[in-house]
Amino acid sequence: MLVAWRYRKRAHSLIQSFDPRAWVIFYACFLFSTLSFWDVRFLLPFLLVAFFVLFTSGVKWHEIRRAFLFIIGFIFFFAILTFITGRGGTELYEKEHLIREFKASFSIFGWTPTLQITVERAFFAISQLVRVSSIAIMTILIPYSLDPALYGITFKGLGLHDKFAYAMDLTMRFIPTFGRDFQMTMDAQRARGYELDKISGGIVQQVRRLGPVLVPVTIHAIIGSEDIIDAMDLRAFGVGPRTWLDVLTYQLRDRILIIFGVLILSSSIIIGLGGYGKFWVPEILIKLFT
Amino acid sequence: MSTATIPLVVDNLSFRYRDRQGAAIHNISFEAKAGEILLIAGASGCGKTTLIRCINGLIPRSYKGEMSGSVRVFDKDVQDWKLSQISQKIGTVLQDPERQILGTKVVNEVAFGLENLGVPRAEIYQRVDEALNFLNIMHLRNRETFTISGGEKQKVALAGVLAMRPSILVLDEPLASLDPASAQESLDAVRMLANTGMTVLLVEHRVEDVLRISPERVLYMHEGEIRYLGDVSGLYKVVNYREVKLPAEQIVERAKQDPPPAPIRVLPGVPTSSVGDEALVKFQDVAFGYESEREVLSGINLEIKRGDVIAVLGPNGAGKTTFVKHAIGLLKPKTGSVFVNGRDTHEASVAEIAGVLGYVFQSPSHMLFAPNVHDELAFGPTNLKHPKQQIEVEVKESLNIVNLAGKEKDPPLALSFGQQKRVSIAAILAMRSKILIMDEPTAGQDYQNYMNFMDSILQMPSFEAILFITHDVDLAAIYANRILMINDGRLVADGAPQDVLRDFDRLKANRLVPTSLLALNLKRLSKTGRFMRAESLAHS
Repeated sequence: MLVAWRYRKRAHSLIQSFDPRAWVIFYACFLFSTLSFWDVRFLLPFLLVAFFVLFTSGVKWHEIRRAFLFIIGFIFFFAILTFITGRGGTELYEKEHLIREFKASFSIFGWTPTLQITVERAFFAISQLVRVSSIAIMTILIPYSLDPALYGITFKGLGLHDKFAYAMDLTMRFIPTFGRDFQMTMDAQRARGYELDKISGGIVQQVRRLGPVLVPVTIHAIIGSEDIIDAMDLRAFGVGPRTWLDVLTYQLRDRILIIFGVLILSSSIIIGLGGYGKFWVPEILIKLFT
Repeated sequence: MSTATIPLVVDNLSFRYRDRQGAAIHNISFEAKAGEILLIAGASGCGKTTLIRCINGLIPRSYKGEMSGSVRVFDKDVQDWKLSQISQKIGTVLQDPERQILGTKVVNEVAFGLENLGVPRAEIYQRVDEALNFLNIMHLRNRETFTISGGEKQKVALAGVLAMRPSILVLDEPLASLDPASAQESLDAVRMLANTGMTVLLVEHRVEDVLRISPERVLYMHEGEIRYLGDVSGLYKVVNYREVKLPAEQIVERAKQDPPPAPIRVLPGVPTSSVGDEALVKFQDVAFGYESEREVLSGINLEIKRGDVIAVLGPNGAGKTTFVKHAIGLLKPKTGSVFVNGRDTHEASVAEIAGVLGYVFQSPSHMLFAPNVHDELAFGPTNLKHPKQQIEVEVKESLNIVNLAGKEKDPPLALSFGQQKRVSIAAILAMRSKILIMDEPTAGQDYQNYMNFMDSILQMPSFEAILFITHDVDLAAIYANRILMINDGRLVADGAPQDVLRDFDRLKANRLVPTSLLALNLKRLSKTGRFMRAESLAHS
């Protein structure tokens, strides 16, 4: 059975005070606007908006702690990884200004591991952190704030065909269902002496040893999908235009939110076309390390 | 009666699945009248589900194969109908309501079919409320579907079908996952529907339960064919009482003519002198909650001792599975402790505990993964580092116990649900743990199969204690020497079956329903001294 995200109605939640369609439109505008910048000065207001939404969402810390820490940890890990390897952002800057260099005291086949800390790498890591964190905070709030019973009508209201709108509804609920099935399979295999953390060997061997978890989860997902199709067929899904039981109505505040989102997006596009908002490092630091 | 007024006529129907050899059903012919409940019974794999798939149109639309004969609804062949047309005449409730429910809220779920048919919103609300009122579940209207109990889910699934106002209702093992009281409530609702003129086709293993609502006729299937079609009294004469569970009085009457069943020596590996001498598992003031606000278990104190065969009874959602998951360490108590073989589960991994305590999950599909049954069964013992030669013996013996010898090379995922369930039990048996825990081992199994494997499991010398969760009061009465009753996360009874099950008020409070076998056993208890199966009572 499909389970839903941990949504609940919250008394003083800013997100929940809007029509879900208005919020999805605003979120999309926010997402594309954020993605159009690399300049940390332009990105910081987006981070502030994201924090504002987070703190006014009514979502309690204990509810999102695990997901939040996982995603923020993930973002930090990748920001640090690109910072150390210098692999990210090279298409955004041509020249680097060295702050400090650390060289290993040994060589491997003539290559000496070296860590270069440059002004550009440091600012790229900061920009990446701010950019992705803004998006992550806004995204993480959606499942906790949008009523699962309204997923279908929300997408229908955004102009999708009945079938696609319902498919989106099912997809949104498939993710937590998959998580539950994964946990159940892990439990069933652990009860047979299987220990995921003791898997060793090469990559191919490790993937093979994941079989006891991956196979049941995949098969269960397929069987579950077939059951859903049968259940839908048996109740005449897709035979013609459907009536959606729930009705959504835009209020003034929803229209204002949509206009605000569209303004942000169009301003961001104009700023981008004007050549602003690209990767930036402070001039003073460049001078200091030239 | 003119054929145009007969709701359902099945004529010479046969079907073979595209990827299987041999027909699943052959030459099935019958009629079902308005206001009739037709019970369709038979062992696993006899073709019951295939028959109803042919009737509700999933065959040949979703399941491909060769089909011949016809299914006519009010004298119209449904072969040419779209599934949407069929679904307005024939409503189907699947075996597991979890597989049928799509809506996030009860009101959305019940409205789903009507939304798809483009019925005006005001009429949808009216018909939804009508269906909910009919089934007395109006109070669930705005609840989230995944938070309601198993019995409530079954009724919600039924309401979703009723709202479409079908003439024929097809129910595929609707009682499989329900506690006895929920099963009885569902059956009462079915009787009410038939009384309003609806034709009901009810596929069910729990024949005795269905007989309480007096089905008009019974269709008994065997190997894809009709073995019997007629009234209930005729069924008693034709079926093998070992294959289909009949009322206890009927079995006693018939079994008198047969030799008495072989006695079972329960847990033969436990010497009589050491029974009850050692706590294999100990729960000490255990409390647990998935979310901080609500406790699912509280104040659990008990010991599982050597020689215990424990049946855990209680309503859907009472906390039974949460309780047994603590024994293997999959869940750790929020307060209190659980000790397995003297070791606190807080300090042991699940894999370490698995060497001592084997746990059969409720759903086989969450564990089966191997390319063949042999490898599936060898997985656990291999993880526990049993010697190779020993693993071969363990695999072979386990397969024999669950009656799947010869299936070693078959892919487990290609087997029927009942067979998959038995593979999942064999997979844990092969691990040769000292303690065996089974979560609803008989759900979805036919009577003969589950009685056979329960007999075999209890006679295995390797086990020192066995615990099983069940909704089947008879299973508990026959096999257990101790009953735990859990309700609302608390242990409400712990004692010998004769003491716990004789209190009918307590049974009722815990959504259990006394059975004919229990009543007969209690009647003869002064003479027998213990609870027995009906075949043994015939010779006592």
